[in-house]
Amino acid sequence: MNTFASRSLIKLELARALRNRKFLFFSVLYPSILFLIIAGQSDGTARIDGTGLTLPTYMMVSMASFGALTAVLMGNSERIAKERESGWVRQLRLTPLPGHGYVLAKTASAAVVSLPSIVVVFVVAAAVKQVRLDAWQWCALTGAIWAGSLVFAALGVAIGYLATGDAVRPITMIVYFGLSLLGGLWMPATTFPRWLQNIADWLPTHAYAALGQAIERSQAPHLKDVTLLVVFFALFAGGAAWLYRKDTLKA
Amino acid sequence: MTTTGTTTGTAADAAAATAVVVFDRVTKSYGDVRAVDGLSLALRPGETVALLGPNGAGKSTTLDLLLGLKNADSGSVTLFGTGPREAIVAGRVGAMLQSGGLMEDVTVAELVRLACDLHPRRYRVHDVLARAGISEIADRKVNKLSGGQAQRVRFALATAGDSDLIVLDEPTTGMDVSARQAFWATLREQADQGRTVLFATHYLEEADAVADRVLVLHRGRLLADGTAAEIKAKAGARRVRFDLHGPIDEAALRRLPFLTALDVSGHTVRIQSSDADATVHALYGLGLYPRNLEVAGLGLEQAFVAITEAEEAKQS
Repeated sequence: MNTFASRSLIKLELARALRNRKFLFFSVLYPSILFLIIAGQSDGTARIDGTGLTLPTYMMVSMASFGALTAVLMGNSERIAKERESGWVRQLRLTPLPGHGYVLAKTASAAVVSLPSIVVVFVVAAAVKQVRLDAWQWCALTGAIWAGSLVFAALGVAIGYLATGDAVRPITMIVYFGLSLLGGLWMPATTFPRWLQNIADWLPTHAYAALGQAIERSQAPHLKDVTLLVVFFALFAGGAAWLYRKDTLKA
Repeated sequence: MTTTGTTTGTAADAAAATAVVVFDRVTKSYGDVRAVDGLSLALRPGETVALLGPNGAGKSTTLDLLLGLKNADSGSVTLFGTGPREAIVAGRVGAMLQSGGLMEDVTVAELVRLACDLHPRRYRVHDVLARAGISEIADRKVNKLSGGQAQRVRFALATAGDSDLIVLDEPTTGMDVSARQAFWATLREQADQGRTVLFATHYLEEADAVADRVLVLHRGRLLADGTAAEIKAKAGARRVRFDLHGPIDEAALRRLPFLTALDVSGHTVRIQSSDADATVHALYGLGLYPRNLEVAGLGLEQAFVAITEAEEAKQS
């Protein structure tokens, strides 16, 4: 019964996400547009220092990661904060829906939107910038970037339960742009000064993109990156769970 | 549904066995403020009960505790012999909050369908919409509703399935008079199906018109528990106001029958009376000619003050 209940909320959340044109634009189309702007001028053969990848190949993973990040972070944080404030979360607590069902539905609907945002970047990169990879690499990339976005979905939930309705947008934006920029999603972190690279190395977004870039080089992901992502996921999910419980007792 | 049987309400244990809701010495504080202060009560199956009190009396906190949205500092809240959450999961409770936000960017029908899907003993969406009187606005977006329409949608969410207890916090907020009347008619249908209905209100008239039983809450305590008529009688019922020309004999006025309070300022006399008809009759009997005579029901606030004073007088 509970899974059934969660499913009907997921369906409705999804219908709602697909109706929101602004959200769809920023999570599905915007990363591809950004990819074309950044990679559009490059000749596609020069390799980026220290990565062994061409700029289009490198940026394809960055932008796919960025798109997935946008969908799950934005989808979760702002809506949760707003709906907490409006009282919808309280109203849902008067139904048999389990408490985590709400968070699950939000994350699931965001994940459904993040999948096309990944695929659209891949299609654009392959069609316009002739990025060529093996079939297993395309599949592995899609899977890794999609699964990795869960880390940021958890972060979005945590922010949603931390921030109030007014503060949630600026907080989300700072976290979103900070993580994207410093993690090297917009430009290769190897172009950063050394000290900034040292910081970027420890960011979840950097580890996230590194996962995809390892697949592009037909390598196994670095243990450090995987560990980082797991630790951040545990941190964000733990924080989200703690904040959720605090909110439940207070509400 | 369980049957009411011959519950007297005095034997607490017997009442608890069949009671829909039991509060046992429940206390809830916010900082220094005791929102609910040692509250004990039991609701019997099939009753329509008004929880009456002015703003800040602790009504919303009481309902939050009842629905498990808040935890009591001490004491226990039991619904159908279990905790609030268990009762909700079992689909025995339908509730509508005062400021219950609604999901935005979806239609009324979609939202009601969700509520139906979530209920273990769901009704058909079509029927729920019809009963709440929102069939015509089923395709409208939830964020484009008037206050009264939003209240009806909340009511639909609370009645999406076959619940045994319906809880409503200030359900008619934002409705005009005709919408209110229509709403109470809808609510009566719910009660007629044998459900227990509990609603919070600060209108004595609403409690009077709909409820079998009225619980008066004041400063987190249960001040009175009875029928609306009993509460009204207890509250010293009516207010009489008139002007007198010439000198006023206060002592004579004070001897008027059923008078519970007297206030003279200038030419204006204000009286509270537990039987305004008799008081006014006696007033003419004194040979006085009251001008601009007004007789009105006591506002709820004053009724509370009257009850409180009566209670305090009894205790001292």
